[in-house]
Amino acid sequence: MRLYEHEAKKIFNSVGLKTPRQIGLIRTPADLNNLEISFPAMLKAMTLIGGRGKAGGIRKVNNMTEARTAAGEILDMTIKGYPVEAALVEQAVSERAAFYAGITTNPATFNVILMASAEGGVNIEQVALENPEAILRKEFPDNAMEMKEPDALEFARFLIRGFGDDRDLAAKLKTLIAGLYSAYQKFDCRIAEINPVIVTAEGDAIAADAKIVLDDNALYRQKTLMDMIGIAEARHDVSELTRDEARARDAGFTYVDLLHEDAPKDPDKLYVGLVPGGAGYGIFSIDETVNIGDWFFDGRVVPVNFMDSGGGPSQAGVAEMFHLLMDKEIVDIIITSRFGGISSCDVFIKGLIQCFRDRFRRGDRIVPVYGRMVGTDLPSAKTFLERAKRETPDQLKDMTIIVGNQKIMADVIREGIVLGFERMETKGAGR
Amino acid sequence: MERIPVHKGMLCHLIRYSRPDLVGTIERTGQIQSIVVGLGRQGMKHAGLMRDFGTTVTAGIAPDRGGQRIHEIIPVYDSVSECLRENPDIACASIWRHYTTARDAALEIIEAGIPIVVLITEFIPRRDVRDILHAARKRNIVLIGGNTPGIIFPPEGIKIGMLPDVFYPEEPAPRKAGPSGVTVISRSGAILYHMSEGLASAGIAQNAVLGVGGDGVIGSTFRQLVPMAMEYEHTDLVVIAGEIGGSQEELLAQDIQANPAQYPKPMIALISGAHAPEGKTMGHAGAIVSPGQEYGTFQSKKKALEEAGVPVVNSQYDLIRVAKEKLVNKTYFQVSSYYEAMRRKWETPPAKPEWGTIITKIEPNNISISGYRLDEIILNASLLETAHLLVKTELPSDEILLQHNRTAVNAACQPAPDIERIEGEDVSQTLAKCFLSDRALAGFSRSGTDGPVNKTVYALGRFARYLAGILGHENVLDQAGPDTSFTSVIYGALTGERDTDPDRTRLIEAMITASVDHGVTPPSAQATLIAASARSSYEMSVAVGVGAITDVHGGAGSKAAGFFRQCVSKSSAEKIDLETATRLTVEDCMRQGRRIEGLGHRVHTQDPRRDVLWNLSESFGLAGPCVKISKLITGIFHQVRAIHLPINVDGVIGAIVADLGLPEDLAKVLFIFGRVAGLSAHYFEEIASQAPMRSISFAEAVYKGRKDRSFPK
Repeated sequence: MRLYEHEAKKIFNSVGLKTPRQIGLIRTPADLNNLEISFPAMLKAMTLIGGRGKAGGIRKVNNMTEARTAAGEILDMTIKGYPVEAALVEQAVSERAAFYAGITTNPATFNVILMASAEGGVNIEQVALENPEAILRKEFPDNAMEMKEPDALEFARFLIRGFGDDRDLAAKLKTLIAGLYSAYQKFDCRIAEINPVIVTAEGDAIAADAKIVLDDNALYRQKTLMDMIGIAEARHDVSELTRDEARARDAGFTYVDLLHEDAPKDPDKLYVGLVPGGAGYGIFSIDETVNIGDWFFDGRVVPVNFMDSGGGPSQAGVAEMFHLLMDKEIVDIIITSRFGGISSCDVFIKGLIQCFRDRFRRGDRIVPVYGRMVGTDLPSAKTFLERAKRETPDQLKDMTIIVGNQKIMADVIREGIVLGFERMETKGAGR
Repeated sequence: MERIPVHKGMLCHLIRYSRPDLVGTIERTGQIQSIVVGLGRQGMKHAGLMRDFGTTVTAGIAPDRGGQRIHEIIPVYDSVSECLRENPDIACASIWRHYTTARDAALEIIEAGIPIVVLITEFIPRRDVRDILHAARKRNIVLIGGNTPGIIFPPEGIKIGMLPDVFYPEEPAPRKAGPSGVTVISRSGAILYHMSEGLASAGIAQNAVLGVGGDGVIGSTFRQLVPMAMEYEHTDLVVIAGEIGGSQEELLAQDIQANPAQYPKPMIALISGAHAPEGKTMGHAGAIVSPGQEYGTFQSKKKALEEAGVPVVNSQYDLIRVAKEKLVNKTYFQVSSYYEAMRRKWETPPAKPEWGTIITKIEPNNISISGYRLDEIILNASLLETAHLLVKTELPSDEILLQHNRTAVNAACQPAPDIERIEGEDVSQTLAKCFLSDRALAGFSRSGTDGPVNKTVYALGRFARYLAGILGHENVLDQAGPDTSFTSVIYGALTGERDTDPDRTRLIEAMITASVDHGVTPPSAQATLIAASARSSYEMSVAVGVGAITDVHGGAGSKAAGFFRQCVSKSSAEKIDLETATRLTVEDCMRQGRRIEGLGHRVHTQDPRRDVLWNLSESFGLAGPCVKISKLITGIFHQVRAIHLPINVDGVIGAIVADLGLPEDLAKVLFIFGRVAGLSAHYFEEIASQAPMRSISFAEAVYKGRKDRSFPK
């Protein structure tokens, strides 16, 4: 979960880092009237996506008139497709120098890595590419909760190489670096970054910007942090959930719409809903559907969704996965695979059959389901399936589940697509 | 299928990296021992599935559950170090703990030096994973996961984790596995299955299938595992299944270019996520494509790997096609036998529900306790030795036996609870009341590893005391001291005689031992198990079992003793031979519609306790006319009723009690005495190995204890 700048600054303050005075948050230009602003001040678009500086989302203003104009423009902005809904107003600071300091887990070594550069306030990736020795990197394989003082001092000295022997500033930067490290560990961050660290004319080292991405897996033990920024549960990053994504989240599984909610339906194409198993095959089944569509069906096949239906869902959870897709008008056929590892075929088939029976009873739209199941608890699932087909043949006539893996899943997807097109033609003929 | 010797497989190859010292043991024992850490629903379930597949699951680990057993036979320890003290050769551990406690569990296992650690747990905070990684690196442990489905080795028939049994090894001869094949390494569980079945459908075997885990920060990555797999002599091709997010694939590609000597074998990379939208979290923590990132996309991975000479595919069809090219259409098995094996799996009807006991095996004409035949036990073991065997599955050492003797004698010396007998009440009811009112027994601790056996021994001692009280022999116990043998205490309590006759003593103890247990189905055992299942106290559970011993169950011996005496008196009164007197008595009984007790058994046609008791009584010269009749009664009954009813243990005990000149009621008392040991063992087994409040179907019980063995001389 990524924090907004003002939230991240609160976190940094809590471990003793200095930030510019936070004046307030505005949602409309009129909100400026409620604030006591001493100029010059900074207006900053509050977004959870990078690149706002380039887009003009950060402005320095010297009086109220400038502030109103800038606020109007910023709050009207859309950055990378996301409308700006709030702006932060903070005290502008005098700048003697700007540094970069950031900490994350190295994706190659999985060690904590601290990076700092005397070239701050700029695109650090650019610096890394063009002038790698301008960045000091150090890994901390022991994963200690606090940084050792000599390490922090090494970074501080590196940053002020060009400043002569400024012991006072070195001490301040040492505190800042150690505080950044401490915040990273204490609050279970994935990224904690300050760009720029500004050395003011008065000789202070302050975090002029702040970026924190939290580890969602650790949010359960970060109640203090959540209280500090005033939220109760994890926030979805970047974009808002679609209606069906929110519905799935409430039901306890991950679902992503691949098409825009109001996407028009091309009558020539087959729209495939996927209930694929775990997240890994969830991603891969999208590829398989597209590839098979391209190779054998002239590219007329469109996968509709990503879903993580693994991890041992309950029977009601499985039923809801199918309900959700059958409720989507655009879906022509659902292709499903149950390769039971941790998940049970037994629970899967019961949930699927429950969905069909519920919809039949209520007269809801039924979308054909084509798929396969194999793995844990298959024998009992098979027994249940056979009995259900005998007992409620009408309810289950649109459900085809192959038991066992005599066919590889790519073939099953291909057959499901063939069935989908056949149904489309029958329906077309009946119209 | 006949598996390859485990020391020749890939798993042992991986163990060698970390703990070469274990390889010798593995080769010698033919076993790779593993533990299951975390015994929640998943850990429990998969402990059983791993064992069924062929994995040696030596133990389970769960704090505060030491001394219990899972799947009835796998012992549980409180901690890894306790487990290793008794089982020093553990080579693999799977961790099923919740993400809030997985770190501590993993660190404990790693510190213990277990070379292969499979971290199943998902959603572990990254800071915790880094701690685990740091420890694993320091000790050179092969850490797999977190968030992994585990690792499976089809040629050896071993899996550590939850991968289903859908993989297929090389099959050089029918039903015989070989070590060669493709090693599949994947970030996603489900992709492992789909890739492996794709390969299998083309006759390509998997010699190892490794799930590295779906998280962004994990133990072993492609870069570590691919060279290890290639170094294994029987790996012909390595298939990696990667996905968008993270940089593992790119790092592998870099390493291939930097250290080509470590990658001497062909390789294929399947990468998924070619059509995933950017910027959306797709469930796997590792599969987030952040906009603008330079690695982690499908294209960045494909490009890096192709530049390193690794073909990249994005579909099952292409994987099969390229694998066939790389292996020059080599087939490792008949595809039909793979499909046949798979079909067998899904056509097998659901397993009949069953549950296990490891105490006593009951078969027609055979009873054995922990593998020892009961007739041998009766002949060779004392009651206390037998009680120890019932509870602990092994015979006690001499030293322990001495301790037990002291415990039991001490128990017998404490005063009995003050019980009021209601006139005409069954002795079993009186004894049950004693159990429930006994402060000394209730106060005796049953905790600790030896708690159950010590409590059982103490209960037997108390039982002797109750009997002495009921029979009016308490004064005999006053002279018992710490060196008195419990056998003679029993004799004194039952007979009131101060001078113990060794042969009579031995014979009485043999009859008690003959009654100790008959599995889980007798009503007394059922009553105790139901009470134990509801977690009633020890005293209550054993008392309800004792209370269920009645004239119908366990009380036949007293009736039989009376019958035999009746025959003997008729013989002497009417001056006819025993056989004639017996026949006439049987005819009388039939006319009056009375049963002859001590005949017939629902399981045995020749009661396995019969001959040993007869022989003992004869060899001591203690057999008299009643024993003689007991040997004739089956034939006589057949002459009268044309029905073959073999004599049972109650009948034999009744006859011997009658010949010893003891009160007829004593036959039933002996039965209850012995059965207290068995009921006690069943109580502790239920507590240790079954969930509370389970629904118990007694017909579904299966013996899962020690195999038959001969009694040590």
